[in-house]
Amino acid sequence: MTVETFSGAERILEPSAGALLRRRVFGHAGFMIGAAIILAILAAALLAPWLAPHDPYAQDLTRRLVPPVWDAKGSWLDPLGTDQLGRDYLSRLLFGARISLLIGFSAALISGLIGTGLGLCAGYFGGRVDMVASFVVTTRLAMPVVLVALAVVALAGGSLHIVVAVLGLLLWDRFAVVTRAATHQVRQLDYVAAARATGCSTARIILAEILPNIMNALIVIATIEMANAILLDAALSFLGLGVQPPLPDWGLMVAEGKEYMFFSPWVIAIPGLALFTLVLAINLVGDGLRDLAAPENRN
Amino acid sequence: MLAFALKRLALALLVALTVSIISFSLLRLSGDLAQALAGPSATAADVEAVRKAYGLDQPLWVQYLAWARQALHGDLGTSFFFKEPVAAMIAARLPVTMTLGVSALLFALLVALPLGILAALKPNSWVDRLALTLSVVGQALPSFWFALMLMILFGLKLRWLPISGTASWKSFVMPAIALGYYGMPTFMRLTRAGMMEVLASDYIRTARAKGLRAPAILLKHALRNAIVPVVAVAAVQLGFFLGGSIVIESVFALHGVGYLGWESISRADFPVVQAIVLVLALFYIVLTLLADLLNAFLDPRIRVG
Amino acid sequence: MRGKLAWAAVALGLIAPAAQAGKPDDTLNLAWSAQIENYDQYFNTVREGIVFAREIWDNLVDRDPRTGEYKPLLAKSYRWVDPLTLDFALRQGISFHDGTPFTATDVAYTLNWLADPANKVITQQNVSWIKSVEETGPFAVRIHLKAPFPAALEYLADILPIYPHDYYAKVGPQGMSRHPVGTGPYKVAAAEPGKSFTLLRNDAYFKESPKGRPAIGRIVQRSIAEMPTQIAELMTGSIDWIWQVPADQAEKLRQVPGVTVKSAETMRIGYVGFDAAGRSGATPVKDRRVREAIAHAIDRAAMVKNLVGGDSRVLDAACFPSQFGCTDEGVKRYAYDPALAKTLLAEAGYPNGFDIDIYAYRERPWAEAIIGYLRAVGIRAKLTYLQYAALRDKNWAGTTPLFYMTWGSNSINDVSAILGNFFTGSPDDFARDAQLKSWIETGDTAIDPAVRKANYRQALQRIAEEIYWLPMFSYVANYAFSADLDFSPDADEVPRFYAAHWK
Repeated sequence: MTVETFSGAERILEPSAGALLRRRVFGHAGFMIGAAIILAILAAALLAPWLAPHDPYAQDLTRRLVPPVWDAKGSWLDPLGTDQLGRDYLSRLLFGARISLLIGFSAALISGLIGTGLGLCAGYFGGRVDMVASFVVTTRLAMPVVLVALAVVALAGGSLHIVVAVLGLLLWDRFAVVTRAATHQVRQLDYVAAARATGCSTARIILAEILPNIMNALIVIATIEMANAILLDAALSFLGLGVQPPLPDWGLMVAEGKEYMFFSPWVIAIPGLALFTLVLAINLVGDGLRDLAAPENRN
Repeated sequence: MLAFALKRLALALLVALTVSIISFSLLRLSGDLAQALAGPSATAADVEAVRKAYGLDQPLWVQYLAWARQALHGDLGTSFFFKEPVAAMIAARLPVTMTLGVSALLFALLVALPLGILAALKPNSWVDRLALTLSVVGQALPSFWFALMLMILFGLKLRWLPISGTASWKSFVMPAIALGYYGMPTFMRLTRAGMMEVLASDYIRTARAKGLRAPAILLKHALRNAIVPVVAVAAVQLGFFLGGSIVIESVFALHGVGYLGWESISRADFPVVQAIVLVLALFYIVLTLLADLLNAFLDPRIRVG
Repeated sequence: MRGKLAWAAVALGLIAPAAQAGKPDDTLNLAWSAQIENYDQYFNTVREGIVFAREIWDNLVDRDPRTGEYKPLLAKSYRWVDPLTLDFALRQGISFHDGTPFTATDVAYTLNWLADPANKVITQQNVSWIKSVEETGPFAVRIHLKAPFPAALEYLADILPIYPHDYYAKVGPQGMSRHPVGTGPYKVAAAEPGKSFTLLRNDAYFKESPKGRPAIGRIVQRSIAEMPTQIAELMTGSIDWIWQVPADQAEKLRQVPGVTVKSAETMRIGYVGFDAAGRSGATPVKDRRVREAIAHAIDRAAMVKNLVGGDSRVLDAACFPSQFGCTDEGVKRYAYDPALAKTLLAEAGYPNGFDIDIYAYRERPWAEAIIGYLRAVGIRAKLTYLQYAALRDKNWAGTTPLFYMTWGSNSINDVSAILGNFFTGSPDDFARDAQLKSWIETGDTAIDPAVRKANYRQALQRIAEEIYWLPMFSYVANYAFSADLDFSPDADEVPRFYAAHWK
């Protein structure tokens, strides 16, 4: 339960346990693959201005729907071809990685803050607070997410900030549920009870004793919600009510490419695969973290 | 049991009330209702007359009560776009969404239950790996993308299934798969975990020791116990499917509630959007209530905790 | 090159001859993305509403789409008594689908009802010229005009179908939408607004009709939002006819066996509209220099060549060339010149460009191309893409600073149908130019064609000089349909299914 995957936490583990952990981490194929992909995408996103062969917004109507380089009619000028307005697909893909990562990360952060806060209160204080929290969670779960997100984005306008805010405000339920259960458990532990007995403040107990103990669970949930936010953003874009053109959002690229999918299949295949790979990698890392944190759950 | 049921019912009612307030405010936030009702070319005097006639000059809580009273009587307002009663429009489209939701659920269960059971019986076998891979891959596929791929493969290339519309049961096959696969991993993991827990329990070991054959054990004991949590989650999942079918409905041109909701948003027809949010939320509330009660009925431990 | 593509598609197994679904059971399956909110033609504003109306109802006269000649339809003959009076003698022996006979009462009732502003017909411009209609006999009517309106026959032929008096008085627009009843070549078997309709051939259709008698037994329409879904349905043969196919898709569909593709230029024109009057508040496009910068920033010729395709052409005047009164004589032209655009922006006080919302409702990729061009000169436009009805309402409320829209003039071959709708103080008017308005109104009501033309010319010059609109190009409608179907598109963008038949 207390196994940490971040270096800062290693000091609380025995050296032998640290070595054991490293072995387990490196031996976990899924986790390693996922982490490698995410690092690669992160690097691509950060280095996009240097890696991209062209301006992702520069259009050239005379060079529309040029196939990728592996096609007979493709060329290295646009390695992944061009889209329906003659914009370089590789450049858009690279810059699009920034948007997907930004949306996934920020939405998970916002929802994490909301959900964890709510879950901590519910799990720590119990009783009335718990009842109110469970009522709030149930209400949130009852709202049809996609429809509400679409409606709010349509009313507030489809800018990146708004989409991130809407996703963040909608995806915190899992954080709340898990945090609540974990907090509830940790609260019973001896040393927390001891801390309370010695008169530590509630805030201190939560921050210093409880939060580190539920960090594992939170990180796993964060990966799930990142993946969710990216997929949901893609779905909003696909329906034409997410972030707006000309942003090179991957979901938007699939949406715009779908008109051409029968005769120029790469225009939806490439961003679709990119989305799939990113979400798969995040899920693999999430699953890996869960296994590493509690190896007995698997088997 | 009764106390638990009453408590659960009270929570459901409270949530329903809150949801109704939220969906009520959705319409009010969408702009000046009087202006929308009077039409864009109306004069200021027209707008004021409409405001009076519809009681839009009253305090918000009075308006809410009036709206809620009408909603309880089945009057969900009138569509700006079609000028038709919203309740009738939703009622006409609900069967499509319900059929889609239920068939998606059936698909998910039909794949997930056998795979989950097999995976539990032989942990780390190829079946187990396949199940795991399916669930990891399944959760990473963007649903609209998957739907388009299905359409190309089964609709266009193999020509096994109709591409859009609701002409026959065949029309629902692809949409059900595209919607259902996303819920599949949850069921698979639940079944696998539940089965493993039960298989490891004392009475199965006893039964095995008594010399009962494996299939008999499976059917008689393990499955029944392992399936309890699945049933409860299935009800909740159905609620998600009903609310989450928008993308699938739009790709396959199924004129269901989700499609109507999406179209209504893009033409700013907020009385319809509001009503759909309310109806879908109520469905979810009822389904989770049923799931909880069923769960408590099947598994007495829950009632206490 | 084409052959190679087709081979690639065959290798993928995508292209196989379309299955025969329509011809064997004599059912024409149509799909389009539009949703008709109300089948009563006076209460919808989508083009498909007109298409539907032509099948169900008849007008007093019909305009031959090929010759442009007016032919009596429900009327037997017509006569201008004077510029304010138009007489019609009506045909006898015609029945509505519900069996009630057609008489002068139906004509007088329909037109009088429409002309009454209290009934809130959605496009007032179409009916506001009618003062009153009187029955001068059981099969004769006289239309009184408010002011001379030379384009009256054009309106009667295109957008004023005649309804059955008893039925319409009883059920109103909502009832008519649910169960449309007319005299037309097809009758309605089922009609669900926004979703689908089924039509059956009207075997009792009068044989003297210039529209001709319908051939195909059944027509089934479905609204399918996504173009790829429509194309897939067409390729598998479960849909027989689609339209508004993007130009490059149409090119590729030509290669598919069993599919016929036809294109026709239409009266529809695309334009960038500006809130020059500042109805939406302080917006950069209120400044003429900014509008001129935008006009120079967009490469319309490249869009025509690469995106629109077909017979489309770049337009400088705010009208379709075949319309009466349309001319680009003396109309200012704005060539593609991004450098000049940047200079103009700097002069207007925006050396670093500005952020603005742009609205559109169709041809999203074209709107995006415009956004791309604007971005190249520093204007960061954010797209809001809405359905037509929602965008129309926003326009009418005056909240849209910049928009890419289109206008098909309801297929009326007269500039009054475009200028009158947008520049005479209607809710669609973002110029609010009194001088412009008076020229157009003079043109609309003058009897002398020369006077009309002169006034319209001044109006068109003014619109270009002030850049109230940036006219973009004419539209080409691409139709794709089953090779079993004999269908010819007309230039007025109204597909006539009653004239189609199986091969």
